[in-house]
Parts: sequence; structure tokens; C-alpha cells
Amino acid sequence: MTELLQNLIDGLGRGSIYALLALGVAVIFGVMHLLNFAHGELITVSGYVAFWTISEGWSWYLVTPAIIATAVATSLVIERVAFSRVRGSSDFTLLLTSFGVHFVVFAVFLLYVSASVKTFPRPGWVTNTYSVGSLNLEVFDTVVIGVTLVTLLATSWLIQRTMFGLALRAAAADFDTARLMGVRSDTVIRGAFALSGLLAGIAGVFWLMRAGNTVPSAGITPMLKGVLAALIGGLGSLRGAVLGGFVLGLAEVLLRSRLPDTVASLTEGFVFLLIALLFIFRPQGLIRVAHAERV
Amino acid sequence: MRLKVLFALLAVFTLVVAACGNDDDSDGGTASAPTEAPAPTMTEAPAPMMTEVDIDAALAADLSECTAAPTGDPIQVGMAMDFSDVVGFVDIPGSKLVPFIAEKVNCTGGINGSPVEVRVAEVGQDAVLAAQELLDWGAHFLIGPPFADFALPILQTTGGQVPLFVAASTEPTLADASVNSFLVSFDDYGMSRAAAQWAYDQGITRAIVFTEGEGIPYTGVNPDAFIAEFEELGGEVVSVQTYIWAADTDFSAQVNEIAGISENNEVVFSAALGFQVTALRGQLEGQGLDGLTYIGTDALDATGIQAEVNNEGIAHTPHTSISSGDRIDTMLADYEAANGEALESRGFMALYVDSMFLGIQGILDCGCTNPADIGAAVAQIEGFQGLSGEITFAGTNGIPPKAVPINRIVNGVDTLVATIGG
Repeated sequence: MTELLQNLIDGLGRGSIYALLALGVAVIFGVMHLLNFAHGELITVSGYVAFWTISEGWSWYLVTPAIIATAVATSLVIERVAFSRVRGSSDFTLLLTSFGVHFVVFAVFLLYVSASVKTFPRPGWVTNTYSVGSLNLEVFDTVVIGVTLVTLLATSWLIQRTMFGLALRAAAADFDTARLMGVRSDTVIRGAFALSGLLAGIAGVFWLMRAGNTVPSAGITPMLKGVLAALIGGLGSLRGAVLGGFVLGLAEVLLRSRLPDTVASLTEGFVFLLIALLFIFRPQGLIRVAHAERV
Repeated sequence: MRLKVLFALLAVFTLVVAACGNDDDSDGGTASAPTEAPAPTMTEAPAPMMTEVDIDAALAADLSECTAAPTGDPIQVGMAMDFSDVVGFVDIPGSKLVPFIAEKVNCTGGINGSPVEVRVAEVGQDAVLAAQELLDWGAHFLIGPPFADFALPILQTTGGQVPLFVAASTEPTLADASVNSFLVSFDDYGMSRAAAQWAYDQGITRAIVFTEGEGIPYTGVNPDAFIAEFEELGGEVVSVQTYIWAADTDFSAQVNEIAGISENNEVVFSAALGFQVTALRGQLEGQGLDGLTYIGTDALDATGIQAEVNNEGIAHTPHTSISSGDRIDTMLADYEAANGEALESRGFMALYVDSMFLGIQGILDCGCTNPADIGAAVAQIEGFQGLSGEITFAGTNGIPPKAVPINRIVNGVDTLVATIGG
């Protein structure tokens, strides 16, 4: 029982990061119908900023805002340089553009920085633990869960209670009608990319604190987790994305912990098998979104 | 309108660049770097015929004071290299160093009057194309990338008729002397058996092993070999945990299990990367398990365990244990001085240079230039004193029975603490 509880908390910690990533993916999908496979590049770029700034002696207190600012800036630059050029194109064009961005960013770091792993020290408290009864909990998991909850509440407030949020929701429901109603497309799309970058930046801080390294392909895994969680939750649904993140995190930890040793190395395979089963019975994901189009 | 002007300017610029470019298109679209013999600066009496490569003489060459440029038929070394982020960390610096050393060889008059030419072809997504380009060029032997996904297509392209040195590989299945494919290093079995021996020699009788799965190349084969050797020595493997190589940095689920069975005196073995081992260690120590000993494979050297925080006491099996001022250190310093950049993955670099010299030694031994005959001669090499240690292929299937250095971080310094086997 104790181990199960620990697994649940570990899974929630992991799922919190996935939820933030998935929410960023869902925000962009909502306004552009773009499944953004370049989302992970925000963490790749942030990772190198973390490496360079920490190498210069910056503490994590300074590196944290630097990572978040980098993710937001990178997201806006990608929108300006790549996606604004193909705005209004077919979903397939947008999808290919996002792949293009991914490969360009990857190649730039590979060719002009290094193919080697660049490591940097993690904050000392990342592996600290504390006890609650018989439970031995990681401080990191607690912080991640707490920060994620605050971020999700703030995001919810932004979307539900502000003019920007109203415009975002209107654009997600029907972009053309929203424009006719006076919503400025540039503002709402750039705002969505900024919000997506902000969420990726917060997720990136935790991801990089845990990883302690970066490579040109560092963004692939977080991108996959984010996209997968968004799909599980129901593409286009912000609440679904968050739910999908937690479900994915819990599934990974519980399967790895509960599967017999002989098949434990197939954990990832089982996760994908469960996702496939989910899509057989609920092709729309956990939460159905009427207006979303599948890519 | 501005966009049209921009496109027009871009088109003009492209045409100008194309017009000013070299007409020689032999380089194609690949990263080729033929090494030319340096211009003569002085004339000397003919040297006696060389029967063995003189690595020290080549390394000592001063590129600003070369002897007469060799004018014989060139020895052509083809490097099919993987520049992706999977292997680029060794193949990129390796493909820079080998042409530099070839230049030094040429500076000393070449090999019996023949210059050494090196051509690098990046495998990209098509190793067959890169290998074919090098064969068409006339490579006498090839130096290939370490993993099977590219090395095997290269081997299929050569049809076993051209010697292939998989320089930085420890993958035993890539070695097959009957098709002229050779490792230059010890293999996974040698490496992980040595790790098990070292751990047992420290008086440790309990082990925790991390694997990706039984039989999986490198990430599973190394743990398999460690487990077999450790148990044969009399040790007990108390836990086998799975993880995702090169990706996992959160080992919470595994640590929870280990915390329930550990006596805080085990050795923890894996083929994981440096940042993974330190992440795992941090989480285990967070659970109070601070009495464990950690040992890993050459992956720790490849990913810079020396630069990691919380690396004190971690042991690993590098290909070469470099100390300040030794031959490898001097060679790398020479490269840096001449080219203004330090090479990464220092511990692997000797393997690339040895690959080139082994191929040349094959040519000297057979007195031939036919690649298949060179391969047959390489297969008979015995006691070759390479930069990375003594290399013997005679009587093997292409895996040299090399000694395995065990390095450990002691007081923050990567220190040679044992040498096992050989």
C-alpha cells in the first residue's frame, strides 16, 4: 500500500510536467488546428540556455526565469518565422511546417553547437526527500505538483476571466466567426504561442532540473509526451490535455512498478497499447471536443 | 513587393556563389576532406623501407617543418561517419583528427613515399550511399560508425571485400574477420566482465543491475555480461531494474523498489549515460542509500562523467585512460594548437587514429593495395602497439583481446585504478 501511494505521487509529479506540455500543445491546436511537433524545441533551446548560463555561474534562481523567457521568446520567433507564413494553409501543411521547424532547430544545434551531451548541475534539493508517516516523498515531486496546480489555476483564470481568454476561446470555437466579431487574429495567435511558450517554459524548468543535460534531440521526448497526453485527453480540449498528462504520468509509473520484472522493459510498449485501446473505445480521447478537427 | 526583391537578391547571390565556386565537384554533397601532402620545404636522402608504422614519429611531426612531400600512389582511407546526435559525439571529432594525423604522416614523408589521403563521407540517412562513394573513390580500407544500424549496411556494401574498422564500437556482432570487419576496442563482454571483476575485487558481493532488456545490443548485453560474470565469481544480483537508455532521468519507481531490498552495500551497474547515473545516484541517496558503489561502461566516458556533479567515486571503463602529457594528451593538444579547437570525447580519439594505422599496417604487411588482401593481412596482425593499447587480431574473430582500464573519480579527478584482462 505504501509503495502504491508513493507510485501515485511519483506519477502525479511526472504527470504534472506532461500536463503543462500537453496544455501548450492544446492551446495551439485550439486556435490553429496545428498539432505542433516543434513544441519540444522550446525545451531544446531552453536547455542550451540553461547549459550556457549555468556554465557562466548563474544560479538556478536566475536560470529559471531565463528558461521561461527563452521558451516564450522561442515560441514567438517560431510563430513569426515559420507558422505565420503558412497561416490559413491546410492542416497537413501546418503539420509539415512543424516537422520542418523541429528538424531545423535540431540541425542547427547539431552542426553549430555540438553532438555531445551537455550536462549541468541539478539543484541540490531535487533529490531531497521527506517523510509523511511511512511515505518517503521527494521534495521535487511536491514542488512540481504544487507549481503545476498554481499554473493551471492561473491559466484557467486567464482563459475564463480575461479578454484575451475570451478571444482565445472564441477563436478555438470558430476562428472565422471570431474574426468577424472583431477578434484580431494576429493578437490571438501570438498570444496563444506566448502562452504555449510560457507553459513549456515552466515544464522545461522542471524537465531540465531533473535531466541535468541537453542534446540537440532533447526536445523529442517532451514533445512526444505532450502530444500524446493531448491526444489522450481529447485534442483541442484544454481540460482534456491536463487530464491526459496526469493519466500518462500515472500509467508510466504504475506500469513500470507493477509489471513483472521479465516484461518491465516493455513498459513504454504497454503504455502505447493502453493508449491504442483507449482510442478504439473512445477515438475522441477522454474528453470530447465538438469543434476540434483531427490532424 | 519586398519579398520579391528579397527573392531576386537571393537568386543573384546564389548565382554569384555558384559561379565563384570550385569547378571540381568530386566532393559531391558530402563532408569530404581529402588530405593533401604538404609542400616540400627540404630534401633528404631516401629513408629505408618501412615495415611497421611509426606512430610516435608521425605524432612528433612538426607541420611547419615537413620533409619532401611523398609522391607515390596514395594510401586512401575512407571514413564513413555518422554525424547525428546519436554517434556524432565521437564520429565528428574522430573525422577531424584522422585527416590531421594523416597530414602529419605525410609531413614525415608518408608511408614509403606514399601519401595518406583521407576522405570523410557523412552517412546521413544512407550509409550505403556514403560507403559506395568511398569505394568508388578507391578507398583501401574504411573506418566506420560504431552502431550496427549504419555499420551493417556499410559492411553489406563492401561485400566483405574491403577492411572495415568500426572504430568506437564495442558491439561484438559487428566484428567478423571472415568479412574483414574489425573492432579496435574491447567488446561489450570484455568491458562488463572487467567491471564485474573490479567490483568483486572490492569485496562487494551484492549487485543491483539496470538494463533495457536481455540481449538488447549494448544496453542489455552489457548488463547480461556483468550479471553472468558477477554470479560466476560468487556474487549475488539482488535486483534487476529496467529503464530507458539515454532518456530516463526519473528513477522514482525503481528507487522505491531498491529501497526495500538494499543493504546499502551493493554495486550498481548499468550501461547508462553519465547524467542518468548521477540522477539515479541522487535519488538513491535521497532515500538514504549512500553506501552504494557505482560502475558503468564506456558510455560514462562518452557523456562526460568527469564533468558531472556528484560523480565522486563513480567508476567506469574508458577506452583509454589519458594522463597529462602522455601520447594521447600530447596528440590532442597538438590538434588543438593547430586547429584552434579542442576535440570532444577525448577517450575515444585514439581508436580512430589506431584504425588508420592498423589499415596502413595491413598494407605494409601484405605489400599490396588490393583491399581484400589488406583485410587478410590485418586479420593476422599481432602485438600492434596502438595508441589505445596493444592490438592483436590473429586468432580472433576481429575483436582484439585488449586490457580494460578501470577509471574512478577520486577527489574529483578521473583516475586509473585498475587494468583488467588483456
